[in-house]
Amino acid sequence: MSSPKRLHPAAMIFTVITSIKQLVYALIPIIILFSNDGFFNYVILGIIGIAILLIGHSILSWLRYTYIVEGDQLRIEQGVIIRTNRTISKNRIQSIDLTQGIIHRLFGLTKVQIETAGSDRSVDAALSAVTFEEGQYLHNELKHKNETSAVGEDSGEKPGLATKAISNKRLLIAGSTSGSFGVILSLVALAFSELESFIPETVYTSTTRWLSSQAMEFLIVVAFVLFILLWGLGILGIVIKYGKFTITRYENELFITRGLLEKKQMTIPIKRIQAVSIKETLIRQPLGFATLSVEIAGGEQENKKVTETLLFPLLKKSDVPAFLSEILPEYQNMPDSYSQVPKRGLIYYLLRTTIIPILALIGVAIALPEWIILPIIVVLVSIALGIAQYRTASYHLTESQLTLRLRLLSKETVMLKTKRIQAVEKSQHILHRKQDLANMKFSVLNNFGGKHYLVNELALADSDKIVDWYSYRKKEF
Amino acid sequence: MRQPPSERIAVDAIKAWRLAACLWSVIPILVTIALFVLAYLFDFSYWFGAIFIAISLIEIIISVIMIPSLRWKRWRYQVFDQEIYIQHGILIVSRTLVPMIRVQHVDTKQGPILKKYGLASLTISTAATTHEIPALLNEEASALRDQISELARVEQDDV
Repeated sequence: MSSPKRLHPAAMIFTVITSIKQLVYALIPIIILFSNDGFFNYVILGIIGIAILLIGHSILSWLRYTYIVEGDQLRIEQGVIIRTNRTISKNRIQSIDLTQGIIHRLFGLTKVQIETAGSDRSVDAALSAVTFEEGQYLHNELKHKNETSAVGEDSGEKPGLATKAISNKRLLIAGSTSGSFGVILSLVALAFSELESFIPETVYTSTTRWLSSQAMEFLIVVAFVLFILLWGLGILGIVIKYGKFTITRYENELFITRGLLEKKQMTIPIKRIQAVSIKETLIRQPLGFATLSVEIAGGEQENKKVTETLLFPLLKKSDVPAFLSEILPEYQNMPDSYSQVPKRGLIYYLLRTTIIPILALIGVAIALPEWIILPIIVVLVSIALGIAQYRTASYHLTESQLTLRLRLLSKETVMLKTKRIQAVEKSQHILHRKQDLANMKFSVLNNFGGKHYLVNELALADSDKIVDWYSYRKKEF
Repeated sequence: MRQPPSERIAVDAIKAWRLAACLWSVIPILVTIALFVLAYLFDFSYWFGAIFIAISLIEIIISVIMIPSLRWKRWRYQVFDQEIYIQHGILIVSRTLVPMIRVQHVDTKQGPILKKYGLASLTISTAATTHEIPALLNEEASALRDQISELARVEQDDV
């Protein structure tokens, strides 16, 4: 087709940045250790040496890194000392994501992430910087062959079937109910505990003395302002991350763009969707809002914890069926009624949530009786949680779809298709067998190789019904 | 899933598990000896050693004598044309259903202990889960592996 291409030279910047990120944790203690001992000049020399090495390495690796689209394959050659030559065939590619960070946008560039199936991250390819047109070109070029009917946004060859965008008002609600407040608070606390050692003792003590001499009202106001500030930061974070969120349905895929500062484009082939989940967090549930996400095989991975991919940051619970029928008609059958867990299962739900708090309560009652009120509150909360989990746990069965409702803290409605469930497990302990109860586990594939949905203490008759539905032999056994 | 699966695993599995449990019980025995030696050297009560002997004896009786036979009694499997049905567990009994078309690959494995008794274990992997039938006669395991991989070779829609 054509000769091998290099990345945009700006890729060197990214190589340097990532190397610095990797080095910084190892180097900072050494630098701090030595700069006190009159080794300061050596430290400077060392830093300069490392900088030269880094820059040299990034130039060399930029020179070495070439890619080419040849027929059905993307071929990448890279490596300074160990050279690797990787070939990815088109029909193994799961998704191609374009991401633009701030630096990318300065130069009009984009990062191209090519994902293949499986949990082995190292076989995926990422072109850290190419021009945006080149990114679009690659995106269209590498697409699965029999999906040529659906093309990216800008090519405009075929219009999307339906598009949904998030309104600014919704985005603000999403931010203010995101619960990222807690995360930011812990980050601030962590940063403070790190900084504490650098604050001189005198400043520290005089500040605490000044603070403790203030009136209670003043302190409350300060705490309140701080709270609002952190909350605002949380909102800002969500707005930046999910600003201009747009999802478009094409014939065989979903196309998502999002982000105010860092722009992300993501393609989700419909075939790759393993399960659809509607999540209502504790804050959002009373307000009637829900978040929609999907489990996909071999998808984008933002951080280690989040496995599902967001379909829409926030929408009214009552709008979910309408949304699905437009964007994802494959999963539009939202049931109205669910079969619940029988009453005799409640005791197990309560046991699971309260056992540790009750043990703590006993411990505190013996050791620190004056603090007894705290564990009592925790026990009461855990009882409420147990009841809530019990009331949420339920299922609904249709010809091709199993819908589960579960709760850990947030209420989650999961829609599963027969052919997407990898295995079903029913387990019973002795008491379960006496009481005709069973725990069910449904396993689906996601990018970590498996996600398991558990419904505990279903009535035995119900669990057998589900198994019969799932069994390929379609007969009682 | 009303009836348990029909096939049992090899009877020698009990012997193999007993042997493995015996090997593991070397650890509590070593700890006991160490306790007695320490008590002798540093002159503290032999009671710790004695208590530990009692605990490790109970542990050995449970893990060497009781668990293997209970485990064997519970372990059952059945391979249908369309799916694999497995039951295991002593206190908590699990029954698992794996459709043939979801099976990605099957392996047989044989460690030194299983080899001594002419046994092999069979591992069935789907994209999301792995299931192991722990002890089958060697030939049986190979035959089953070939049978499953043959049955699993049906047209897979995707994933």
